[in-house]
Amino acid sequence: MKKFSSTGLATSRRRRVLINRVAVQAALIGLSIFFLLPLIWMIVTSLKPIDETMTSPPRWIPSHFEWGNFPKAFAYNSEDLGYIPFLVYGKNTIFVTILAVIGSVISNSLVAYSFARIKWRGREVLFGLTLATMMVPGPVLMVPMYALFKEFGWIGTFRPLWVPTCFGSAFNIFLLRQFLRTIPIELSEAAKLDGASEWRTFVDVIIPLARPALVVIAVFTFLWAWNDFMGPLLYLTDQQTFTLSMGLQFFQSQHTGTPWNLLMAASLIVIVPVIIVFFFAQKVFIKGIATTGLKG
Amino acid sequence: MNTRREQLVGVLFALPWILGFTIFLAYPLVTSFYYSFTSFSVLRPPHWIGTSNYRELIKDDVFHQSLKNTLTYAAASVPLATVFAILLAMLLNTKAKGMAFYRTIFYIPSLVPMVALGVLWLWIFNGHYGLLNEGLGKVGLPTPPWLTDPAWTKWTLVLISVWGTGNAMVIYLAGLQDVPQSLYEAAEIDGAKAIGKTWHVTIPMISPVILFNVIMGLIGAMQTFALPYVMFPGGQPARSTYFFSMYLYDTAFQFQRMGYASAMGWVMFAITLSLTLIALKLSSKHVHYEGG
Amino acid sequence: MNTAVAQRLAALAIVTAGLFAWVGSERAASRQTGSQRVVVTYWEKWTGDEMQAMKHIVDSFNASQSRIEVRYLSISGIADKTLLATSGGNPPDLAGLWGDQVVQFADAGALAPLDDLASKAGLSESTYKPAYWNEMTYKGHLYAFPSSPGTSALYVNRALMPPEYNSAEKFPKTLSEFEKFISKVSKKNNSGGLETAAFMPRDGFGSGSWPYLFGGDFQNGNEIEVNSATDLKAWEWVHSFAKRFGVRETQSFRSGFGNYSSPQNPFLSGKLATMMDGPWFSNYIRLYNPKTDWFVVPFPYPDGHPELAGYTVLNLNTLMIPKGAKHKSEAFEFIRYVQRQDNMERLCTEQFCNSPLSKVSEKFLNTHPNKAIRVFDELARSPRARGPVQVGIWNQISQEMGNAVDLMDVGGVEPKVALDKAQERLEDEWSKYREQVLNQ
Repeated sequence: MKKFSSTGLATSRRRRVLINRVAVQAALIGLSIFFLLPLIWMIVTSLKPIDETMTSPPRWIPSHFEWGNFPKAFAYNSEDLGYIPFLVYGKNTIFVTILAVIGSVISNSLVAYSFARIKWRGREVLFGLTLATMMVPGPVLMVPMYALFKEFGWIGTFRPLWVPTCFGSAFNIFLLRQFLRTIPIELSEAAKLDGASEWRTFVDVIIPLARPALVVIAVFTFLWAWNDFMGPLLYLTDQQTFTLSMGLQFFQSQHTGTPWNLLMAASLIVIVPVIIVFFFAQKVFIKGIATTGLKG
Repeated sequence: MNTRREQLVGVLFALPWILGFTIFLAYPLVTSFYYSFTSFSVLRPPHWIGTSNYRELIKDDVFHQSLKNTLTYAAASVPLATVFAILLAMLLNTKAKGMAFYRTIFYIPSLVPMVALGVLWLWIFNGHYGLLNEGLGKVGLPTPPWLTDPAWTKWTLVLISVWGTGNAMVIYLAGLQDVPQSLYEAAEIDGAKAIGKTWHVTIPMISPVILFNVIMGLIGAMQTFALPYVMFPGGQPARSTYFFSMYLYDTAFQFQRMGYASAMGWVMFAITLSLTLIALKLSSKHVHYEGG
Repeated sequence: MNTAVAQRLAALAIVTAGLFAWVGSERAASRQTGSQRVVVTYWEKWTGDEMQAMKHIVDSFNASQSRIEVRYLSISGIADKTLLATSGGNPPDLAGLWGDQVVQFADAGALAPLDDLASKAGLSESTYKPAYWNEMTYKGHLYAFPSSPGTSALYVNRALMPPEYNSAEKFPKTLSEFEKFISKVSKKNNSGGLETAAFMPRDGFGSGSWPYLFGGDFQNGNEIEVNSATDLKAWEWVHSFAKRFGVRETQSFRSGFGNYSSPQNPFLSGKLATMMDGPWFSNYIRLYNPKTDWFVVPFPYPDGHPELAGYTVLNLNTLMIPKGAKHKSEAFEFIRYVQRQDNMERLCTEQFCNSPLSKVSEKFLNTHPNKAIRVFDELARSPRARGPVQVGIWNQISQEMGNAVDLMDVGGVEPKVALDKAQERLEDEWSKYREQVLNQ
């Protein structure tokens, strides 16, 4: 009797787990369709002949697939320019993005550590000031910002696009500070009792624990630098130094129509690397390999 | 460690930002504050006019309307987007097959360029033949004119904001990694169910991250620009989607009144700052920090 | 630091150094060319085919002589960059901007007057069609030269015309005839909604300039006036379309229009039987729906006012030399090259525009890709051709008028009330502008 009921309990429990799992999968798949809509739509549009783009009511399946749109978008304007803009712009974008990501991860982790885990006079004031800088709308800073970069002799170079990121940014500092403050103080204290300096505590104890947050910062900086349009538009002065986000502008025109299929093909070429980067970056969020073993 | 040394080490760690702030931000911030007391047509040197810009703002109907639009949008979209992003992150934090793909897929809307997104949304929300109304019509629900009726347009943007929560979702996902497994086990021993665990363990443990996302969501909502700019040029119809940042941008660059735009910017700053301080005050009892 | 971390950092350093070398070498290579020539930087706002059309002119200019090299940089959204760079004392030698920006830049003293250079080069009032000359000059000075212009006329979809309207000759000439035409051609579908509208004044090019049709204006002498009796008549006429088909029905019908720059453009998809647009629209037809059978007519004029016939709205792309440009006379050499009849006609042909010059070759009119180019050329010569009014707050005026019509059409506000409100706001804007920019 006793044995019987205990198996019954186990089955009902297993059934509950199973129902849970099915519900989770169903939610994941349902939401995926929802979130994939823009991508599907971009892919479909990029493979349509021009006269089937933007139809109303929407047309989801093209009459035939125009695979040629991709090479056409890739080589857009290249005859007139004498080079393939996608390659040149891609190279410039990679350059700016890599420098921005490296600079951003190093500087923000140092600064956030100071704000989160070292007690010093003036810390709270500076942190408040840091937060406040984000609340001033960007357009009103553009004129003095331009004047500043001109003073430095940086107009027409990549420097306005990546050098400032190497000094930290308010958003990333705040984000990382919040994460570092969730790490128990006892861990630092234990390291210091063992004779570790502040630097060693930072490098050996805190950085490994903060890996998910550091990856988030790297991903955000990557995205920001990759997609930035206003910065390159204002500060670059030679078409050969343009970035991919500017390259997409060339598909939209004032009076000669927009080739939507080519625009979407080009947009896909630009975002696919970002999707791949994110796919690999999100692995640090998989439970168990990051931090949990060390904590609690 | 003695305090003197700790002071030095603290400043040294923060040095990049202290330098960056001084070199790249201090001058533009101070200058734009100065511009707000001038008439400055961008192309000509600024001319001091005292508090005239701020006094003009008090009487400016369009400013009031854009402020009202923006605050309404922020009040609706920030809480909605917060709840939605936490739920998505928790879903993505479960152990299910193919999670790497789901995580990437859920983030994709945040990667799509704005021109593509704008056009897509105009399609989906179109009152005439849009996907959304087609669906609503089939199940017998009302089919409002999402894009053309001033009473609806703001709510269209609120709905879209809920959908574009990828960044917040990723931050929550990273935050959930930091919740010690042992706490859940302890709660289970105490007989907590899933909802209880979420409420008593997960939410308090990620509360610093929630605070971060709420404040950033607030700042972001107050400065909303790109999507309404693409979807509703000029804030049409009847300025119902004319947000603060759009008015500010038009004033600065189309109307070339940089002084007046700067005054708007600093009023915006004051409003956002007050809202943030309120949020910090309200949350101070509920945000839980492990690291002192 | 442990060795693994050190190795990674070293690898990172190598990658970074490599990147610098890679991108740096490219820069050096691109800077080699044309070191002996005076470099004129030219910023333009076009993309796509329009950008290419001007690129061809730039290339042929650079090849035609060995003293000057024009460096052409063209991307949409460049107006903000030009504004900031000019303000920062770092302007291009040559800027391609819209005609209505001439006034803003000139008022701020940010443009170099070109009167002397022009008269030496033999470019004068008689070189241009009067309406364009008016837009190029401001307060007695010449500030800008046209690159490519436009005028508006009514495109008609022949397939939707009953026999009595199916050619330019038979099409209505006056507004009362046009009224009848609208009732006849507009069609409802089975469920009572609109299927085809004969015309919608708020779609197409120049939808903010209807007061000109009735002889109205946006200014009166030195004052802004948008609510005169004639203005009211014009906007009531615009609003009458929303009333005629029903406010909600019009709203719903117009929301069914696809993207302007697509096959679902309301004219190309047959939702609008006629639409006002510029000569460039034939390129949209060619791209998105080449089977469309169309013709073009001047817009009908108000009954009893034949003197008001020839209504058309101007669009003007201009070349200007910002103050502080380093190579003013070299930049002007290029302007002069563009103004040559053969070059101008080539540019306008490739950009699907009419010519701003008073002299137009038969070859241009015969080979232009828009088969109706003669209608546009004729309209461009009309004494009724008007562009933006020459006041520095034109942007505010257009935004305010758009809002006023929205208030009438969807907000249920009386036209008179909406116009008075706009008038009040614009008067304030204008007095601020006079006080702060013009120092009056």
